[in-house]
Amino acid sequence: MTYLFIMLYAVTLIYFALSERVKKFVWLLVIQGIILFAIVFFSLNEIELFDFIFILAETILVKSIIVPWFINKVRKRNNLKRTQEVSVPVFYSIIVVVISLVVSFLISNHLNSSHIHTRYFTVSFASVLFGIYFIIIHKNIFSHVVGYLIIENGIFLLSLAVGSEMPMMVNLAILLDVLMGVLVLGVFINRIGDTFESTRIDQLSRLKD
Amino acid sequence: MVSLVLILISSLFFVGIIVKVKAKIAARKMPPILQPVYDVIRLFKKGAVYSLTTSVIFKIAPLIYFASALVATLFIPIGSFGAFLSFEGDFVFFAYLMGMGKFMMIVAAMDTGSGFEGMGANRESFYSMLVEPAFFILMGSVALFTNNISFHGLFLNFNVDTNLSYIIGIASIYVLVFITMVENSRMPVDDPKTHLELTMVHEVMVLDNRGFDLALIHVASWLKFSIFGALISNFIIQSSWAVHWQIAAFFGIQVAFSFAVGMLEAFRARNKMEKNPQWILMLSAISVVIFLTVLIITQKIILN
Repeated sequence: MTYLFIMLYAVTLIYFALSERVKKFVWLLVIQGIILFAIVFFSLNEIELFDFIFILAETILVKSIIVPWFINKVRKRNNLKRTQEVSVPVFYSIIVVVISLVVSFLISNHLNSSHIHTRYFTVSFASVLFGIYFIIIHKNIFSHVVGYLIIENGIFLLSLAVGSEMPMMVNLAILLDVLMGVLVLGVFINRIGDTFESTRIDQLSRLKD
Repeated sequence: MVSLVLILISSLFFVGIIVKVKAKIAARKMPPILQPVYDVIRLFKKGAVYSLTTSVIFKIAPLIYFASALVATLFIPIGSFGAFLSFEGDFVFFAYLMGMGKFMMIVAAMDTGSGFEGMGANRESFYSMLVEPAFFILMGSVALFTNNISFHGLFLNFNVDTNLSYIIGIASIYVLVFITMVENSRMPVDDPKTHLELTMVHEVMVLDNRGFDLALIHVASWLKFSIFGALISNFIIQSSWAVHWQIAAFFGIQVAFSFAVGMLEAFRARNKMEKNPQWILMLSAISVVIFLTVLIITQKIILN
């Protein structure tokens, strides 16, 4: 069953490359949060109550409710345009995401290590690669936050891949980090939006003390 | 033989249901379900007028288009009913039959010497070119999954038993539905009801065809709908079902598919012209995900 959701996660990455509307990014983040919950839920061998609550809080509550709700609020407050221009045509982005998926599957095949669950490594590596690419091609800081969240979802999957080496505590720390990061970035975007009346990054190069 | 007859019967009412659904949603009076058939019969009774600039290519193109769709019908099995013709690798032949029909229509559109029709031909060939990898990657993956390279063997051995094969089935149906829409120049890519030549794709190509030729083109497009509907139904119908259930399921799926096309056309806006290529490429990307899934199932990629 985990494979099913891992493949669905790969499909969401393709839709991230395809979509240009900011609202769609938020919805895709919600869907990714739910898929991550399903992946973790089906990979647990025996379900303990504490683990279940922890995972539920981490994936559903934080990743698909609080963070999307917050960035949606930021989106509305800054009157972002419905579509955000990208510096690379979407046509090439789709090719890039397909290549990153294929490369990460091939790498996972070659890793073949007993310490790593390579099934999670596949999409997590693709997600990190694509998140970086997503940040590079977008000119808007709002989309940069979305790219950052895609990378974070990839790192969450990576923590599953090296599950035996990485205790839950580290995961919790990453989660807190990301939550705070998003909150701070949201406030930051709001401030920039108020000062410059736009969230494009070329405005930022003119910032001075 | 049975599958050929079933596909021909379903092709008669396919477009009728689409038109009916669209009329109902737009709160217009619904035409009878066989209205497209009456229209085509009326067209068949008419003669054809040819422009002086056209050559013999323009005259034979509708015939070849129709013939290629009809021959392609012979290769489609339904459930445990075999196809009329079947050999190893027939899905490649099928794809190129469709391609030949389309090629003749494109050449005929260029033959008229009209600027509009050249533009339509240009778009149509571009979209067909982009959708081809999606079809081949999809069919190749299913062939790898079932270890068969003919339509008949491929669908006979397609069993959904594990969780991963569900994703192959669902994603294949999704990709095939939109391949159908691109092949038939329907909604997300092209709007058959558009009134402006500059925004047309397929409709502008057949502006010069009339009477008998236009009727052939219409019938060929019904056949194409029915063929792809039959391909979709093969992903759902299991050959272990009883015969009458297979036939009932086939018609049920065809009706559901035409209903879905009608709903899609009524509610969805057409893509912007420049957004079409990336949207069609997305189908290929999803086919690649299907391919990776098949590689995991067949243990070509070993994960732990």
